[in-house]
Amino acid sequence: MTSAIETTGLSYRASPNFAIHDLSLTVPAGALYGFLGPNGCGKTTTIRLLLGLLRPDAGSVRLLGEPVPQGLPAALARTGVVPDRPHLHPYLTVAESLAFHAAFYPAWDPGWATRLQRDFLLESDRKLAGLSKGEMAKLMFLLALCQRPDLLILDEPMDGLDPVVRRDVLGAMLDYVSTRTGTVFISSHLVHELERFCDWVGVMDAGRLVVELPMAEFRSGNKRIRLSGADTVEPGRASSSPPPFTLLARERDSGALETWVVRGWEPQMTGWFEQEGIVIREVADLDLEDGFVELLRAFRVGEQAQRSDHA
Amino acid sequence: MFANLDPKSAVPLYEQIGLRLKAAVATGELRPGNALPSVRQLAAKLRINPATVAQAYRGLEEQGFVELRQGAGTFVRSVGGDSRARERTAQARRLARGMLAEAARLGLSRPELRDAIRHELDGKGGIA
Repeated sequence: MTSAIETTGLSYRASPNFAIHDLSLTVPAGALYGFLGPNGCGKTTTIRLLLGLLRPDAGSVRLLGEPVPQGLPAALARTGVVPDRPHLHPYLTVAESLAFHAAFYPAWDPGWATRLQRDFLLESDRKLAGLSKGEMAKLMFLLALCQRPDLLILDEPMDGLDPVVRRDVLGAMLDYVSTRTGTVFISSHLVHELERFCDWVGVMDAGRLVVELPMAEFRSGNKRIRLSGADTVEPGRASSSPPPFTLLARERDSGALETWVVRGWEPQMTGWFEQEGIVIREVADLDLEDGFVELLRAFRVGEQAQRSDHA
Repeated sequence: MFANLDPKSAVPLYEQIGLRLKAAVATGELRPGNALPSVRQLAAKLRINPATVAQAYRGLEEQGFVELRQGAGTFVRSVGGDSRARERTAQARRLARGMLAEAARLGLSRPELRDAIRHELDGKGGIA
């Protein structure tokens, strides 16, 4: 098995105004996969489709190699989930919810659960109804981690948590993945959070997958290039040869200087600028957040153009 | 030692970690025989991918700064005086390169930069 999660042509109409379109995701086993997208782009719906909580209108899902929904019991036994909203019984105590959860998972690690409970300062006799948002998040992570899953699916797990709690839960998660080869699928609209540890990234917008690739490629392929002598050049016009990269954005700086944001950059592409008589002043990396924003902006312009073509 | 790692930097994180550790060896903050934190501890502490820490340690091992002892951990090797001096030179040059790149971006000329450095060195800066 090479993919922890694989979807093919997944489509699902959630409402008259919102649908998941032809979504094909591949999450390699062992990846720390950041699933990015703005609020409301379909991340949670996608996760619900992965977990068999929603049935797709078309397409298929494989979770840890098992077809969904037929193979769900086997797959879910090896999958830890932190959903966007806690689903635990509020009238249970911390100790009771641990015992309840443990009963479902044969690989449950009681020793680690005790240690994490202590590290997270979760007292056994507290009722869940009385836990703060941060304490609840820590409990959800503890439950998902201590079942020793092969796959962790985390839906906006850091949303609304204070920095101390964020560090606690991320630290525990990274501790876990360094002791075994597990796959983590983590959705977020907080891009900078994922930049530190994700090695794969998938970006969604408006129910569609915009891009999916290794983080290193995403980072190295997205550049901000400062140029002089570019003001007369219109890439794509008949007079100039088409650029070998994708131009995401372009802005006029002071004087004859321009900044281009490009995607799919490779070092030898400087040749194209020379050929066009443009001087490169500086080539700088875009961080994940800037790359993400520029990519979405360009994607939306393209979508809009397509829509008005159809109209 | 690992304060202010910058995931946004063009220098990959594994390289930043390697540079910090080499600097610590060069300045004597880390001494021969000292153990590095385990991959697991450091990844959790810095909230970075364990593979990134492992990659940094492998790089240091290849360059002879540390040795991996099976089951025991990663330890600083005794590096000779000239190797430490080499590393100090490398650190100083790295610093200078960074400054030159920044100066070029700002469009500063060589004389302007030289004057500024001389001015800072002559002043009450904290450098011996």
